Amino acid sequence: MKQDQVGTIVGSSVHLTGAIKDSSDITVYGSVEGEINSDSRIIIEESAYVKGPITAREITLSGFVNGTVTAKDKLELNSNGTIKGNIDTNELLIHSGATFIGKCTMPDKKKSDSVEGSQDFEVEVEEEGEEENEEEKNKE
Amino acid sequence: MYYYIFEQPKSKQERAAFEKIREVAREFGIYGEITQSSPARSAEELVMIALNKKYSTIIAIGDDAHINTVISKIIKCDEKYNFAVGIIATDPLSILYDRWGFKTAEEACETLKYRRLMRFSVGLVEPDYYFLSSIRIIPPKPTRITMEVDHWTAEAVIDRVEISNNLYILLERNMKETSIVKNAYNWLLGKDTTRSDQSIFKGKTIKLNSTDSIPVYIGTKQIARTPINVYRKLNALNIIVKRGKISSDK
Repeated sequence: MKQDQVGTIVGSSVHLTGAIKDSSDITVYGSVEGEINSDSRIIIEESAYVKGPITAREITLSGFVNGTVTAKDKLELNSNGTIKGNIDTNELLIHSGATFIGKCTMPDKKKSDSVEGSQDFEVEVEEEGEEENEEEKNKE
Repeated sequence: MYYYIFEQPKSKQERAAFEKIREVAREFGIYGEITQSSPARSAEELVMIALNKKYSTIIAIGDDAHINTVISKIIKCDEKYNFAVGIIATDPLSILYDRWGFKTAEEACETLKYRRLMRFSVGLVEPDYYFLSSIRIIPPKPTRITMEVDHWTAEAVIDRVEISNNLYILLERNMKETSIVKNAYNWLLGKDTTRSDQSIFKGKTIKLNSTDSIPVYIGTKQIARTPINVYRKLNALNIIVKRGKISSDK
């Protein structure tokens, strides 16, 4: 077995319970009940089911997540992805067809130059239209 | 002085290769006491003899199972890990060959002569089997296993489990290809129509259990049966490494 920096992979035939943490990437194809934490990137694939909080620098989500999602840099919710829970991120990209039910918190970039602040808004949508960016929503 | 423990040769070619190593070692001035394991005198007994004779460098020559037997006995007998271990892996398909395989006897003996030491971690299968390569569990049919690793538990049906000395865990399940297009493509090309579902984890302690008791192997040698507990022993061995090619695996 190669011992390179391959990170953690939860295969589709695996059901995992408990907290997993890795400094490298974590990719989930199977089901996880518990916390997932990475210093790098988390990829939740289409076949994945996650019940629990997810925290990483960057998160790409195509499967189902029931829990809080915290992406320090960027969160991308792909068209097959579902999040039932709150989001906390700097940059958010939701593709058409994705489902997000919860509250999103993003830092207020205008205020952040002088005073720390954040913008909160609640979303309960099942997107069907064109690709949307949460920041645009904010402007509305 | 070096104490050489050769594996019993399995073929004429291997016998000739071992003879060549002895010759070159003599030429390089690193000749020492030469021994060979056999049914009458096991590799473990030979390690005990080396320790009693106060040799400080033991060279293991052979396949993964032989090398792991030698290093396991050394660690069991010498808890302070003062020994230096030299390795010449002879099975090109083995895991240790990646690190300690040599194209020629000259290359192997030159590495032993320069004696560049690095500390390596080893895995421990309870109660007392240490390993430097990896252990394998390959059940005859897909089997459900439960693994407790650090702060999490995993359940899976597997065709193969491999755990390395650093406790990297590989779970493998062969599944029928679900994509009709891929299936047809593979069938047309005469390729296998199954795909492998892999999981990779890291841990510090592993408790592995299975519905049926399955043998656990190092190379071709069975060392235990499930359930097993596996731990990591950090920086447990001083091993002679190739110059500028191998990094330690702390």
